[in-house]
Amino acid sequence: MNMIVCVKQVLDPEIPPAKFKIDPETKKVIPPTGVPPVISVFDERAVEAACRLKDKNKGKITVISMGTAKAADVVRHAISMGADDGFVLEDPAFENLDSFGTAYVLAKAIQKIGTYDLVLCGRQAADWGAGQVGSILAEILGIPVVTFACNIEAVEKTLKIKRLVKDGFELVEAPMPSLVTVSSEIGLPRLPGGMGLMMARRKIIPTWKAADIGAEAAKLDKANAHSEITGLSIPARKSECEIITGATPAEAAGNLASKIISLT
Amino acid sequence: MLPTSATYFGISGYIIFWVLFVVAFGLFVQRTYFLFRLMRLGKPENRFDQAWKRFRNMVREVVTQRCSLKSVTRKDLAGIGHAMLFWGFSFFLLSYIIFIGFAGGFGLASVLTGNTFERFFSSILDFAGLFVAIAIIWAAIRRYIVRPARLERSMEAGVIMIMVFCLMVLHFGVDGFGLAAAGTTTYWPPIGGAIARYLMSTTIATSTLTAVYRSLWWLHYALILGFMVYIPRSKHMHILASIFNTMFIPFGQKVVLEPIPMEQQENFGIAKIQDFTWKDILDLYSCAVCGRCNANCPAQLTGKKLAPREVIHNLKEHLLAAGPGLLNVKTETAKDGQATGIIGGVVTEEEIWACTTCGACQEVCPVNIEHVRKLIGFRRNLVMSQSKMPESAQLMLRNMQSRGNPWAGVTSMRLRGDWANEAGVKVLADGESAETIFWAGCTGALVERNVKATLAMAKVFKTAGVDFGVLGDAETCCGDPARRAGYEFQFQIMAEQNIEVFKSHNIKQIVTACPHCYNTLKNEYPKFGGDFKVVHYTEFIADLIKQGKLKLTGDLNSKITYHDPCYLGRYNNIYEQPRQILQSISKAKLLEMERSHNSSFCCGGGGGLMWIEEQPGTTKINQMRLDDALKTGADTVVTACPYCLQMFEESIDHQGIKDKVRAVDLVELVAEATK
Repeated sequence: MNMIVCVKQVLDPEIPPAKFKIDPETKKVIPPTGVPPVISVFDERAVEAACRLKDKNKGKITVISMGTAKAADVVRHAISMGADDGFVLEDPAFENLDSFGTAYVLAKAIQKIGTYDLVLCGRQAADWGAGQVGSILAEILGIPVVTFACNIEAVEKTLKIKRLVKDGFELVEAPMPSLVTVSSEIGLPRLPGGMGLMMARRKIIPTWKAADIGAEAAKLDKANAHSEITGLSIPARKSECEIITGATPAEAAGNLASKIISLT
Repeated sequence: MLPTSATYFGISGYIIFWVLFVVAFGLFVQRTYFLFRLMRLGKPENRFDQAWKRFRNMVREVVTQRCSLKSVTRKDLAGIGHAMLFWGFSFFLLSYIIFIGFAGGFGLASVLTGNTFERFFSSILDFAGLFVAIAIIWAAIRRYIVRPARLERSMEAGVIMIMVFCLMVLHFGVDGFGLAAAGTTTYWPPIGGAIARYLMSTTIATSTLTAVYRSLWWLHYALILGFMVYIPRSKHMHILASIFNTMFIPFGQKVVLEPIPMEQQENFGIAKIQDFTWKDILDLYSCAVCGRCNANCPAQLTGKKLAPREVIHNLKEHLLAAGPGLLNVKTETAKDGQATGIIGGVVTEEEIWACTTCGACQEVCPVNIEHVRKLIGFRRNLVMSQSKMPESAQLMLRNMQSRGNPWAGVTSMRLRGDWANEAGVKVLADGESAETIFWAGCTGALVERNVKATLAMAKVFKTAGVDFGVLGDAETCCGDPARRAGYEFQFQIMAEQNIEVFKSHNIKQIVTACPHCYNTLKNEYPKFGGDFKVVHYTEFIADLIKQGKLKLTGDLNSKITYHDPCYLGRYNNIYEQPRQILQSISKAKLLEMERSHNSSFCCGGGGGLMWIEEQPGTTKINQMRLDDALKTGADTVVTACPYCLQMFEESIDHQGIKDKVRAVDLVELVAEATK
């Protein structure tokens, strides 16, 4: 079973809020120094899903990440978890792409890799959280897409997927190849073993430029983007503190519950 | 004439003597050989270096009985009883060899007895017998009437006490009847002599005296042989095993953790008997179930499921039960099939994750059992082979992996290098050399409360004119929490990376703030090629004071108590430097807690438990430790470890007594006292 997982490197979501800075002029986030960027948590779950399928059915996992040269770190992280191969897609032309542009680049890379039975993405990226790339990518590749998966099984040439919906879950079947976006409910990603950590250190991660994957310049042109950032600001945080009391802890808990109910 | 020279029902006494001996000795050898073979199921481990030093250590521990006397406190005097038993019985062992073995078995009575040597020896023996008998009565009163919590009431303990007591009574009986029957008039052994004098003053016929003497002599002999057979079949095998265990102690390190080759793909840590080393198995044999470990274990004392005594004892029971099956199969795979898992059945996950690795059990163990590395071995298996761990542990480990520190970002409002900017200290640029660096550690760099201590450290360094550099945001975790939590690979990767960084700056000396970093850098990095001079700040500052480079105003007027951090004290024997520093700061005398120095009580934060949720129990470890501190009447609890500091602050907060007592890091007091 050949799997391709798309991962994104994001700013560590756990940096202290006070350290999070943006430049409203260029509409960009200013990364703080000394905090390494991390793999997007949802994408890490997608890698975990792939590893679980590999544990059961054997197969090969290839990881691709579009970003800066530093994105090799998250590819290595995926390799330490159990992925076999990885590529970084880096080119000045890839900067500031919207979801359509990103999906196009990823599609080109996937087509270059060639054969696959399953493409996995996180349900959304942990930074911008648009949640569009997976679906658009499937559209470009011309394969079915199942979103918000919390369990994936492969039975012969069929994928059995449990997907989250608002009030429960659905069980769906999809043919291979398909694209599945993975949700956090799939469970915590594994801790890499020694072999994985060693592989990750030794592995050479090639970088593919636009020309390597045959991406057309026109498709990457800003003029052809489907969306545009018109402004960027940090939301004002307002917090109020009210101490809920009660004669007994039970009463205090009751008061707290009523307060919460009154607020929702 | 000894009873062996007589004939019984036409059989020579000598024949009876030797037949009994061969049978008993055979049973003794059979059992000890079985135990030896079981030991060899374990993996190899080199504990054979420095043979002379090992032998000397054995003599120092066993012959002087330092092993049992070291744990004697006003509340627990049992060690004295053990020493009495040991020394007393040692004389008896010698007497059995000389006066029963050689005199009785080889018919050398005429040479060995009746001379001045025998008279002196038998007199000493009489007192030794009295000693042993008193010790046994004392032990019986303790075990069955006083019933201290650390002792379990086992059959085996009762059997051995009755046996030894009977041996003593029989000794006096044999002496008395023997001397009386022989009509000896020189009464050298005082007690045996007194009995003989009494018997001779009665009208009992000499033939009766002789008959009783012979019966008692044979009974005595049989009991000695029975003792020999019983010892290796009971927990009293510790008599044999512990002698060797004191020879095979780890030198220089409290807890020896073997690195795991990165190529290894399965069978991590300890899941079954064969995963232990032979030394671990010898540990199990050595346990006398005395329970001193339980009486000092912070987890046990606060009502957690972990009881080190039971861990060791249950492992031994498991080994003895599973052992014969393991010895009968030939191939390794068949052995693996035979071995039932330890984790879950013999030792539970709750027990395994309750250990703070404080080392109190090992410190007090009279027979040098290494408890901690076994528990870490189980953690290695859980984490690396089974991916089973408390969620809080997994979070911590994942943070270490992706963020290079165990603290998740949101617990901290700062970034790694922030403190260095605030303190205005020199952050080493790439490739820039520095003789000495100050290693702040994750907690000291990231957690607001501990950063205060780090800034105080920088101030002290500057005041003393120390030329030092810091790594700023290039500093990562030393790896200790990962190693203690069983995720060895992460530790090894961090160790290798850090060593590379140290070498790239040509660093010679590292001053650490945290005792955990200190222990890791100093004792564990050398195995990965990192040989640097590592000093804890308490050593460094004590030195600065001694050299006159740091002048302190000695007018602090607080009631101070000092808490010995486990990894500074027990792990690295630094007890005096912090106290010396306090002396030069404070006017008042230091108030010592009842549990201090090497019997210090853990704050609850070691072994990764700073991040791994503490299990429910009767109380929290840090609460119990704060109570210790409060009992001294102190208003200031001083420590020299970032975890301890947090733990104390948390428990002070919890008890709502912030206005009465404060917790500080020693370096903060030093900084306040700089002139």
